[in-house]
Amino acid sequence: MSPLWAVALPLLGACGVLLVPRRWARELSAAAGVVTWLAGLVVAVPQLGAAQGEAVTYATLATGAVPITLTLSVDGLAALMVLLATSVALAVLVYSVAYLRDDPRYPTYAFLVLVFTAAMTTVVLADDFFVLLVGWEVMGACSYFLIGHFWERSDARAGAVKAFVMTRLGDIGLLFGIFVFGVAVGSFRISAANDAADAGDLGATTATVAMLLVLCGVVGKSAQFPLHTWLPDAMPGPTPISALIHAATMVAAGVYLVARLLPVLDLSSVASSVLAVVAAVSMLLAALFALAQDDLKRVFAWSTVSQLAYMFGALAVGGYAAGIFHLMSHGAFKALLFLCAGAVAHAVGSTSMSAMGGLWSRLPVTAATMGIGLLALVGLPPVVGFFSKDAVLGVVVDAALHGGSVTDWLLLVSSAGTVLVTAAYALRAWLMVCFGTPSAAVADVEAAAHEPPWLMRGPLVVLAAVTLFGGLVLLSPQVLVDPSDPDTEFLHPEIAVTATLAVLVVIGLVYAGWRRSGRRDPAGLMPTRVRDFCAREAGFDEGYDRAFARPTSRLADGVVANDRDVVEPYVRGSAFAARGMGAVLRLAQNGNVQVYLSAAVVGAVLVVVAVAAVARVVGA
Amino acid sequence: MPLLFPLVLSALLFAIGTYAVLARRNAVLVLMGVELMLNAVNLNLVAFDAYLRDVVHSGQVLTLFVIAVAAAEIGLGLAIVLAVFRSYGHIDADRLRALADSDAVDEQIADEQIADQQTVGTEETAGGPVPADVAGGR
Amino acid sequence: MGPRVLLGVTAVGSALLVVTTGRLVHSALWLVVTLGALAGCYLLLAAEFVAWVQVLIYVGAVVVLLLFALMLTRAPTGPQLGETTGNRALAAVVAAVVAIVLVTTVVAGFGGVRISLDDALLGSAGSTGEAIFRFWVLPFEVLSVLLLAALVGAIALSRPVGHRPGGEGD
Repeated sequence: MSPLWAVALPLLGACGVLLVPRRWARELSAAAGVVTWLAGLVVAVPQLGAAQGEAVTYATLATGAVPITLTLSVDGLAALMVLLATSVALAVLVYSVAYLRDDPRYPTYAFLVLVFTAAMTTVVLADDFFVLLVGWEVMGACSYFLIGHFWERSDARAGAVKAFVMTRLGDIGLLFGIFVFGVAVGSFRISAANDAADAGDLGATTATVAMLLVLCGVVGKSAQFPLHTWLPDAMPGPTPISALIHAATMVAAGVYLVARLLPVLDLSSVASSVLAVVAAVSMLLAALFALAQDDLKRVFAWSTVSQLAYMFGALAVGGYAAGIFHLMSHGAFKALLFLCAGAVAHAVGSTSMSAMGGLWSRLPVTAATMGIGLLALVGLPPVVGFFSKDAVLGVVVDAALHGGSVTDWLLLVSSAGTVLVTAAYALRAWLMVCFGTPSAAVADVEAAAHEPPWLMRGPLVVLAAVTLFGGLVLLSPQVLVDPSDPDTEFLHPEIAVTATLAVLVVIGLVYAGWRRSGRRDPAGLMPTRVRDFCAREAGFDEGYDRAFARPTSRLADGVVANDRDVVEPYVRGSAFAARGMGAVLRLAQNGNVQVYLSAAVVGAVLVVVAVAAVARVVGA
Repeated sequence: MPLLFPLVLSALLFAIGTYAVLARRNAVLVLMGVELMLNAVNLNLVAFDAYLRDVVHSGQVLTLFVIAVAAAEIGLGLAIVLAVFRSYGHIDADRLRALADSDAVDEQIADEQIADQQTVGTEETAGGPVPADVAGGR
Repeated sequence: MGPRVLLGVTAVGSALLVVTTGRLVHSALWLVVTLGALAGCYLLLAAEFVAWVQVLIYVGAVVVLLLFALMLTRAPTGPQLGETTGNRALAAVVAAVVAIVLVTTVVAGFGGVRISLDDALLGSAGSTGEAIFRFWVLPFEVLSVLLLAALVGAIALSRPVGHRPGGEGD
């Protein structure tokens, strides 16, 4: 089956959702999700573990220099990503039927979700940089619209604009990186770039420049330091969107791109080091920020940034299989966590953790699935998160111990620290939401809380099952490995044991802290300076606002004032001058017939005199 | 006789007629000026007819025609003068300025158009509201 | 020589009085004098028929019409001081310029030319009639239609308000 179906079917579904009568929009969108998932299965499953994909070219656009080909290809990596994207999209669409049941803007919402899915499959199936870029940008546009779905809220509007502007800023770098690739390789095909890197036709400097530029786009899209501030502010969007876009797919597209271009990255030690440093800083900072947040979705957002940095760390030291494995498992358990947050919000009415507590008894299924998701986040056996985290730690330790540079050691230290902090904030979130005695005001709200409908619980249960049993994929690891390195080990017993022990210690400490704080918030025991640093997110936002946002705003005000006070008076002045001249000329039209006649006679006389003079001159 | 004699006389009469048309206040006096100009033309025609000894007498015949046309014209002109007198109450050429182009006239026309729009549909359009330039000269 | 000059001076003088006098009816009467003098000039130029037609129509009909118009428009009797508008300075200048241009043109063109009246064709009624009905029939007929049109138009214009079809105002 041609891979174009995986792109075309969701688009057709999207148009269909807009065209049918409103009352069928929900059912049609869920059906479109099912169809897309099936198409994804048909396209992807045969190609799992395939080394090279068959590229299908649909058209070639001549540009005068390097042509752009509309090519899609399905290889092992693309197949995995297609499965991830379509599965999470299906879960989200089914969940949304119940979550947004009363939303008047459902058809546009479903349209955008389906267009987004089509764009994501375009990105992962693309074999031409410009096809990838088109999908990349369409995803950014859909993300903007979907974050701003509840546009009555000013924080939703602001978050949408911030997300769009920051990701677009990174995309400038990506565009220039694509140009460098095109010029250096002579083609815009991604497979051509990788082949050139493998064959040694790509110089180290060119590879460095190209990868650094591409990393700009990746850093923007995947919310890594320094463009990390937009992801938590995108949380005012609907929760299913946070699950789809800001956990499983769009932000993962950055990881996908780096994994896709790994042959080129390997040629450039500078780019690898830069990526390692960015990942190291992001993962630890984000984990620390998550420790002091009150909003549940914000905790998960910072967690996403941190886990993405994990994947980047693995890829920076060349651990393709580990990075991809963690990408897939994170996609599953983070989507699960966000959907649980949506279920909790649906029950309690807010996402603020201080307004929750003791929900284990009222929402058992939700609490249990959330527990499984958090277990995967922390990385304790037997869930899939344990295996993927272990794989990442394995490659990082390996790289540091075997001739590692300063950046590799930095990455190792940061990863170790992140494991501990991740355990801390994950447990804190679970304790604050599901256990303890809520305050009196909250208890009244919670007395009316109930489990969400089965359309919402269903995806939770399915994702929890995937998380729980996903480790079984290691029984046939060929779907994950890089074909050029088929002997990747996935289990590192020493590391696994050490990490698990350390995590258990942290868990013990946090639990004790929770008991000490009166079963409310263990973060209250942190020193105030540290707590403020984490809660304020190190002041990055204020810094960016002062450095970029406010000057731009003032410049815009200046432009408006310039137009109003400098340019417009010229326009108005010319109109005024025309009217003034007209008024002057009008004085001759005073209505007196005798004046008109006098003018006519004088004119006639002058003509006669002129003719006579000319005749005399000519005749003489 | 020298041809100059009637020609100069006709030129002078023409000039005097021009003065009357341009300077007199009463419309009837303006028409008298027009008559003077026409008579000057007639004299010119007759003089040339005599000088050229035209066989078909074109000069004199044309003079007769001019006299007839002048008569018709003065009849119509005076009918118009009487109509103006009936509408405005005077025939002072200096005060008949309704054709002027000025802001006051524009605003007046605009006001009357607005008034017309408000009464549209309640009156027949033929012979409808009085046009502004006729009613505005009082 | 004498009659010529006399007639000429009379014509110009009475024309000047027509255009300058402050009394309206006097203006019409001085017009009579001017027209009469011109009739005399026609006689001197061997145009008899034209002269009598001039007296008949101009003096007899046109001036009477003017006097009737003055009456119907309630022209004030007695000297009127403001009978000439403020335009008179410009008008005088224009008239003077016209006079100068015309006279100069005429003098330049026909400076020393004389009319020989001995061989002139007499413009008697007979010869004029013959000329009209032999060579100028078509213009004559058109002229009669013109007069009819003027007649109808004058009647239409001078109907009082309320007698128009449809009740149109003026």
